[in-house]
Formats: sequence, C-alpha cells, structure tokens
Amino acid sequence: METERPFVLPGDSIDPSLIPVPRQQDAQTQNSKKQAVLRLGPGLRHMAATGAIVPTVPGQLVVDGRKRSMWVESKGGRYVASVGDVVIGQVQRSAGGDLFYVNLSPYTSNAILPHLAFEGASKKTRPQLAPGALVYARVSLANRHMDPELECVSPATGKADGLGPLVGGTVFDVSLGLARRLLMARSREEGQVAVLDFLGDEGLAFETAIGRNGKVWVRSDSIKTMIAVGRALQKTDEDDLSVDDQRKMVKWLIKSMR
Amino acid sequence: MPREAEPSLNEKQFVIQALQSNLRLDGRKFDQYRPLEVSFGEQYGVVEVKLGKTRILAKASAEVTVPYVDRPLDGIFTIATELSPMASPAFEVNRPTETEVLLSRLLEKTVRRSGALDTESLCLVAGQKCWHVRVDVHILSHDGDLIDAACFATVASLRHFRKPDTSIENGVLTVYTPAEREPVPLGWLHSPFCVTWSFYGDEGEIAVLDATWLEEAVRVGSCTISLNRHGEICQIAKLGGTPVEALSLLQCTSIALVRVKEFSALLDKKLAEDAKRRDRGGLLAELSAENDR
Amino acid sequence: MTHLAPEAALSVLPRADGSAKYSYAGYTVTASVNGPIEAQKRDEQAYEAVVDVIVRPAAGVGGTRERHLESILQSSLSQIILITSFPRGLIQIMLQIESTPENDYVNTKLVQASLNLAIIPALLQTAVLALLSAAVPMKATATSSAVAVVLQDDGAKKMVVDPSPRDIESAQSVHALIFTSHDELLLAESEGDFTVQDWDQAYEVAYNVCCQAEAKKAGTDMMIDDDNDASGSDMRHFIRSTMESKVAADLHWKR
Repeated sequence: METERPFVLPGDSIDPSLIPVPRQQDAQTQNSKKQAVLRLGPGLRHMAATGAIVPTVPGQLVVDGRKRSMWVESKGGRYVASVGDVVIGQVQRSAGGDLFYVNLSPYTSNAILPHLAFEGASKKTRPQLAPGALVYARVSLANRHMDPELECVSPATGKADGLGPLVGGTVFDVSLGLARRLLMARSREEGQVAVLDFLGDEGLAFETAIGRNGKVWVRSDSIKTMIAVGRALQKTDEDDLSVDDQRKMVKWLIKSMR
Repeated sequence: MPREAEPSLNEKQFVIQALQSNLRLDGRKFDQYRPLEVSFGEQYGVVEVKLGKTRILAKASAEVTVPYVDRPLDGIFTIATELSPMASPAFEVNRPTETEVLLSRLLEKTVRRSGALDTESLCLVAGQKCWHVRVDVHILSHDGDLIDAACFATVASLRHFRKPDTSIENGVLTVYTPAEREPVPLGWLHSPFCVTWSFYGDEGEIAVLDATWLEEAVRVGSCTISLNRHGEICQIAKLGGTPVEALSLLQCTSIALVRVKEFSALLDKKLAEDAKRRDRGGLLAELSAENDR
Repeated sequence: MTHLAPEAALSVLPRADGSAKYSYAGYTVTASVNGPIEAQKRDEQAYEAVVDVIVRPAAGVGGTRERHLESILQSSLSQIILITSFPRGLIQIMLQIESTPENDYVNTKLVQASLNLAIIPALLQTAVLALLSAAVPMKATATSSAVAVVLQDDGAKKMVVDPSPRDIESAQSVHALIFTSHDELLLAESEGDFTVQDWDQAYEVAYNVCCQAEAKKAGTDMMIDDDNDASGSDMRHFIRSTMESKVAADLHWKR
C-alpha cells in the first residue's frame, strides 16, 4: 500500500496529492463518517488555522490509503507514552497505600500504576513489588498535562493477558524503531526482523516480552542464552542488519559463545 | 536534586549471576579492555578517546602567567575535569558529584603529583613569568571506566601538545607566534596510566577490568592502580568497599602492568602516525629539539 | 576566504537521546540533546517545556561570554521546538566546542572578553542537527550565517561570509543571523559600527546563504566576493541531505 515515502523535515509542506481523500461512494454509504476521517499518527500535527498537515520530526512520510492514516516513520528518540502501548516499566516505590510509581524511561516523570489494576487484586490481596522490580503493563491514560497511568489487567475482561510483574531474567535497551518492528504482527515480513526466530532455530530456549518504550525482557534457564539474545538484539539495532545479515550474525554469535 | 537512573533488580541480579558463571554481558574476558580508539584533532593538544561507549575529549592549552610565590622556579600545571549533562542528565552543571571529585583527585595524583610533566621546564623568568599549562577533560559520554579513559586522554593530549617557542635576550622575553616559529613539545618525563579493577562477590573474590556503567552499578569495591610502563607505581586507590585479599590485589597489579605496556605502545604508535600525517614534507624532523628518552 | 565543505555526523554519542558533530570553517562542535525529560521543580513551567542550553568552550571553564551565547541560542531554539507538547518537561541541549579557528599571527589568551558572534552559526547548526537526531518535535528547522563588514582600501565595503579571526579583527562590524526553514528571521545580533544600509546588505547576504533550497546559483549578489560563492554553502540543503541519508539508513528495512 505504501509506495512513495518522501523524506520530510519538521515544518515541510506536504504534497496535497499524497493525502488520502475519501472516495465518492463512501460518502454515500453508511460508513461515510468513518471513512471520511483521516488519522494522523506520530510525527504529524494538524494546524487548525490553515488546515495544513505539518511534520514535526524528520523521517519518511508513510501513507496508508486503506486505513486512511498517515504518520512519519523514524528510528530513534525518547519514548513518549500514548494510550494502548504495552511497556516495560521499573517500579520506583509504592506510595499512598494504593499505587506504584513506575518509571518508563530514565529521567522522565513516573507513571502511576494502581495496586488494584492487577488480575485478581482486591483491597486485601495486593501485589508486592519491590523498588527496582519490572512490570509489563499497558498505558491506560496519557496526555501531556498529566503523568501517564498504567494497568496490568484488561478493563473489559479482567484478565491479565500476559501483563504483570516480570520475575527473573534481565532487560535490554533497544531503539524505539526496533521495538516497534518486534511488536508488529508480522515482524519478519513487514518489520524485517527475525533475529529472535533465528536464535530459537539454533536451539536456544527463552521467553521474551517487548516494551514499546525500547525495552526487551528475556528469561531463560541458561545465562549464556540470555547474554546471546541481548547481544544479538543490540547488534541488530546498532548495525542496522538486514534479515540475511541477522541470520549470519546469529550463527557467528552462537559459534563464538560456545 | 538530579535523579540518578538505577538499573532494575533483574539487571543487577543478572550481572552478578553471569559473573559468577565466568561470563560478561558483552562477551569479554575478565581482564580484557573494550577496544580503545584514539584520534587527534587538527590543533595540537586535542584528543578524543573512545573506550566502548565512553567518550572523553581532552584539550591542552598554555598561557603565560605569574608563578606561585612559594615556587618561583616552577610553572603551573592544572587539570580540570567536568561532568556535564552531556555525559548523563544525572549530572548538573557546577555541582560536583562524588564521581567527579574522585575522578579529578585521581587524575591529580596520577599525572600531576607523579611529576609526569616537568614543571621546571615551564619556567620562563624566575619569579616573574612562567607557563600555565592546563588540560580540560570533557566527558562526552559515560558508560563506565571514566578514570582509565580520562587518564589516557590527559596523557595523550599533553604529549601531543605544542607550546609556543620562546627566547630571552638581555632579560627581554619574546614569545613567538605559531606563524613565526614552530611550537615546541612539553618537557615530558614519563607516561602514567590508570587501570581500574572492580570487585564482586561476598569477599570481593571476582575481579574485573574496565567495567561498563551497568557493571559499575553492582560492584562491591574498586581499586585504581596508576603506573607507567617501567612498573613504577604512582598511586593505588582502594577507597572503601568490601575488603579484598592482599594476594589478589598483587595479582591485579601485575596484570595492570601488562595492560599499561599495551597502552603505552598504542599511544606511541598513534602519536607517530599523527606526526607522520602532519609532516608530509619531512621538514618537522629538522625543527625538533626534543631529547630522546 | 574559501572554506572546506561542512561536515556533519549524527548520533555520535551512544547514550544521549540525540547528538551531532559538525565542523565548518575551522569550528568543530559536538552537541547532545536529552529530552523530553522531567524538569527540576524550580525550573518547570506549567504549560510548556523548558529549553536549557549549555555551552562549554574547548579550553577553560567558560564565563560571561558563554552565558550570553547560551541565552541567545535558548531564545531562538525555544521558538522552533514544540514546547507546548511537553508541559513541565525539559529539553536539555549541551554544546561542546571542540575547536575554533586559530589565528596564527597572534598568541591567543585563554580568556576572551569580547563576544564571538562568528561561532553562533556553528553552534546553531549543531544544535539543530542534534535535535533532529533526537526526533524532538519541532515547528521548523533553522539555519544561520555570520557576516562581517570589512572596509577595503578603496573605501568600498565588502561583505565576508563566515569570517576568519583575521577578518573579524579588521572588520567594522560583525552580524550573526538565524533564519527558520520558513524564511523567517529568528535572530539578529550585531556588534561594531554600522549603518542601516550595512545591516540591510548583511541581511541580504545571510538570507541568500541560509534560505536557498536548491543548489547555489552563481553571481546573484554584486556585493559577494567571487571566492565566497564556493563557501557559505546552502545550509538548508546540507541539513536536508544529511538527515535524508541518515533516515534512509535507519529505515533500510521498510519495503
């Protein structure tokens, strides 16, 4: 769907022909309201005064005509919380008797995780998380005027769905771009990252959790495995490896660690 | 107060477990340094040192000034280090942290007090004029082991630096500009380097060289040994921390000597390459009045 | 005075959110950007982020002159960064001057009393490249240029772009200007004796250097010396091409 991806700098003007326009038939059908809405993703802002759409970060402008959305793709930067993201946070402390302060990236203000936002938690049974522990949570509230809020349970079903404290293992830092690619549904085809699959092919047994804030948690029975996974991820990130290069790098890494 | 970013419990436990299984996170051996890269700038005395992700920039400069009253025959030599928010947002401007104080003290003892630079050669007119040589060490990026990298950078920049040539006729001092006469190197006596060991385990039994920021956060003790390639020790600093067996400290010192010889050879090589690069026409060899030591 | 083409490297510091190293006309500056992070309680603003600029000279600790440069850059950068997106936040920009052009004919003293306007373009370009590398949301990018007005022997006034220390010594006035990518004037600092006509000409010259999007056109302005056509490169084009190749490398994986 995305054929042309022009490079943009902040403040550039966007070629109006790139902006997806609602088709005439859709305007008549029942879905007209939904189809006529253009969704702006990260990196773009809408100037209400002139009606123009202006990029705010350098990157490639990606237009998805089907979903009628646009965003600017870029690799790095610092994580800014937005609702629905799954993140790995570090608990700072428990405060006020009913919430945890959790840090999503160093030197930023803490996010709030209520004690009751866990599966099966009640006033009598609260989760015990020591300062420095890691949690896998979803962002439930994020706007620029408030500290972000997290939850470890799905509000609709009351189930954790894999969220909650991360015990053991270790966590590695990756760039925001790589974290996004790892979280894609089809990470090998669309994200061009298959390094975790290759490591599994070589016989390593481990489990991972990926945080949109640039953190990957890895747990395995063997320390060597965890070190290998961490090094493979960091090499993929720093050296910008393609899928073939990732396969070769994994083979080389396993051999050198034997 | 600046908030220090601490690693998570999981990371800390993982590093300790790995060390107990004889493994480091980046696959290095316990007594192995990260690759050390040295690059000199266009101007004399500017050097950038990269030790893994730690980056240090050192610049040497000289100015004519009045000597200290109690030392009329010596020049002045100062080393200024500063940890700025560039190294990490945890550091604030003009607010020295413990790391910074320790770093500048160790550099003082290693480079200044050991007499690496001959301060008598900096005197111009006894009691009235002398050179004030100053090295500014800027920490650009902090990923552990600042002391070793900063000391290397200081020594490299002082050896690379050239001060303006001077002459005295009938009591009148003339300082020549770089356009009039080629600048001359400083009077250098010996090159000290620092080697920092970090200790882990209940009795400090695991010793590791060149710790990264994460490894430094979990260590229980550390020891910095400063020596030159002849095996002359300038200082040993083990400031608190878990007590360590004397025998293992001796072992650390002998491995440190091996590393220092490697550093010394690397620095000599890089300085020679830089001199060759500048001296395309072969003229500089004739201008030099340096004594071979 | 012809200078070598400007050089820039992005993301040179691995632990900062964004960083850049830029050298041109004898100036080399390394910048690091951290943000948006939490501001100290005493500094925070309720509705927008605080932009903190710190300038460190190569030698010495820096004094009033560096503070003045910091306040100039802080007010300019605050206008192009989207500070309303991060209330109570902090964008920290650190500029480390690594080298300045030396005057071989003078023994330089460490402490310089007068303000050095000619370094503003280098500081600003490095800061902008570092902000782009950190993907801090901005309204526009900015480019900058310094112009010296030199009185020649025949009485005519020559505009020198990117003046060297010798040019500055013999100049009547020195001007530093910053333009945004929308051709708006963000900053104009001048020192020395000059008339309104001098300033207008300096403005024209700086505008031509900073605000050209395509490759340089030859001989547009009578006042520019022929030598300067090679220097004073189109800064906007330089920033764009630098960022474009970096982004293309980063997004190599996208089909």
